[in-house]
Amino acid sequence: MGASPSWQASFRWRHWRGILPWLLLVGALGLVRWSKGAGFADAYALLSRPFWPGSAQREWILAGSQLEQQAKLLLLEQDNQRLRGLLALGQAPKSGRISAAVISRTPQGWSQQLMLGKGQLDGIAQDDAVMGPGGLLGRIQSVTPTTALVQLLTAPGSRVGVWIPRSNRHGLLVGMGTSRPQLKFIDKDPNAFPGDLVSISPASTLMPANLPIGVIQSVDNRAVPAPLAAVQLIAAPEAIDWVQVQIR
Amino acid sequence: MTRLYKQPICLASALLVPWLTLAAPAWLKLSGVGPCWALLWLLPWALVDGPVSGLIAGLCLGLVLDGICLDGASHLPVLMALGWWWGRLGRRAPPIKRSFNLGLLTWFGTALLGLSLWIQTLFIQFDSATPWLQSWGWQSCLAQSFITGLVAPLIVSWQLLVWRRRARV
Repeated sequence: MGASPSWQASFRWRHWRGILPWLLLVGALGLVRWSKGAGFADAYALLSRPFWPGSAQREWILAGSQLEQQAKLLLLEQDNQRLRGLLALGQAPKSGRISAAVISRTPQGWSQQLMLGKGQLDGIAQDDAVMGPGGLLGRIQSVTPTTALVQLLTAPGSRVGVWIPRSNRHGLLVGMGTSRPQLKFIDKDPNAFPGDLVSISPASTLMPANLPIGVIQSVDNRAVPAPLAAVQLIAAPEAIDWVQVQIR
Repeated sequence: MTRLYKQPICLASALLVPWLTLAAPAWLKLSGVGPCWALLWLLPWALVDGPVSGLIAGLCLGLVLDGICLDGASHLPVLMALGWWWGRLGRRAPPIKRSFNLGLLTWFGTALLGLSLWIQTLFIQFDSATPWLQSWGWQSCLAQSFITGLVAPLIVSWQLLVWRRRARV
């Protein structure tokens, strides 16, 4: 004696109706899995927001991170000095840097200069490198017993030998009076592009080696006799109240 | 008539020129360039005290300015020439009273000084005489002459008033 077809259909429907919610739940959880926790993570973030770490904790982490970076930098500098010593390349020790206040500032106009509140009595001499936060600012042009006059990199007449670390090419950074000095390449094919870092050559003995100067903003490959580039300086003399002088 | 150079207070006022040049107040700048304080002092001095005194004042100011500025272009020739010319104007022409005329004279003098500095720089940097250097020259020259011409009626007319009164004593 077999079951009637209507009874069979009713059984199938009841059977599916029982497990359908579970199938939907499993499907939804599958979606959660596929989306890497969407919904769950967002809900958790929303609910736990009042308990998130405050600014104090963020500052501790930042301070820790800065300390770590400084320690790494110190180790790298020591390593660099040791390697430079092995290569017999001169390098002034870090203790040869002194801080000086900017007492007069004319970064634009006919005479683009800074005047520092320290001079000959503090060991500053002509052609010493002057650095600000970010990189090289210029060179000492003249000194008095208590002041020093800095020729900015942007000043007409300023010439500094530079280096492009990415392509290992040399050039001459020439001040043109404008806020962006001109980089004159020595090679016909400088292999330089906007965004390249410009720094002091690692083999420099006159200036602090590897000191960053600026970033190439544009390159004129058709200039004669050699290509030219405009360099955006990293250190801004308009906003610096204290500088460091590398005394020799 | 008493000469200005015999009055210590008038002579001492010249010390303001290097002081203001170095202080370079940021709120009194046009396109990053401040007024030419030397000409703002030299114009009334030369108008009141004559060409020889103006010439010597121009020489002294030029020496001081060349000392506190970077090596290269010199302020001396134009400052001396302007001191002489403005001194002759003060002696031979009718007395200048209008603020506009003072502003115009200062504007012209600053433009002349700027042109001189620019031409000297082009000679010194002849291998780098690119359009970049030219744009810097135009910008500095126009900005400085404009701001000096604007400030002159305020400062020079007051100085002229005081110094003429002192010279008559």
